[in-house]
Amino acid sequence: MAVVPRNFRLLEELEKGEKGIGDGSCSYGLEDSDDITMSYWNGTIIGPGHTVHENRIYSLKIHCDEAYPDSPPRISFVSRVNLPFVAANGQVEAGKIGVLAHWRRNYTIENVLVEMRKEMASPNNRKLPQPSEGSTY
Amino acid sequence: MSLPKRILKETERLRNDPAPGITAVPHEDNVRYFDVTVEGPDGSPFAGGNFHLELFLPEEYPMAPPKVRFLTKIYHPNIDKLGRICLDILKDKWSPALQIRTVLLSVQALLSSPNPDDPLATDVAKHYKEDLPGAQEISREWTEKFAAK
Repeated sequence: MAVVPRNFRLLEELEKGEKGIGDGSCSYGLEDSDDITMSYWNGTIIGPGHTVHENRIYSLKIHCDEAYPDSPPRISFVSRVNLPFVAANGQVEAGKIGVLAHWRRNYTIENVLVEMRKEMASPNNRKLPQPSEGSTY
Repeated sequence: MSLPKRILKETERLRNDPAPGITAVPHEDNVRYFDVTVEGPDGSPFAGGNFHLELFLPEEYPMAPPKVRFLTKIYHPNIDKLGRICLDILKDKWSPALQIRTVLLSVQALLSSPNPDDPLATDVAKHYKEDLPGAQEISREWTEKFAAK
């Protein structure tokens, strides 16, 4: 199979992100639309319903370095959140979330956001006490 | 990874008999991924510039077109801020009879004849339509600034 190089992979992801994905509960785009290296991205997760996260909008920063997608992106929350896979400074701990811990080359930014949203709604996490809404790291 | 004969032949010809002002060299670790340079055509605002591009042959090539992007910043109505190119043969006008060489020659020709009526960079296209000499001046400045040899 042809191996899609980083830049063309990220262009595909960008085009998909610009069109909007799924039900709109997760979205992402380039932080700076001028960034020809496509390294820095913003992401948004709408908190899943019937959990403590309902109606909250979580902003994230996503960094795809030169090794992406052979290596996973680095992700941190901008909005404060209390989740077992998010460190005290907002950084997502790759070892604690399946999609990053067991990264595969065909995984995408979208996969990561969708999985984190799923984790928010898991029985262990759905009722965790949360910082006040709108606070940031 | 076995590479279709067609791609091998095209790569060989690009090396042994390159089109004037164009180079395309496959990456060592990915033979479908090419480092490309295109010289700005004489008589255009891009003359004297050497533009870097990247080109990728997807699995479906030659049934599907190559993917091509500018890596050098360029002020052109059909090339956007991320280097994406609006060119019909890279989209619906693709034909398997075309090749890497013809694609890159078309990209070079696009530099000579911008098409502001089918824009990708709408602000640049507007500039080209409303003030051609002024817009070309910016294209020249960017060529000097970003594409100097």
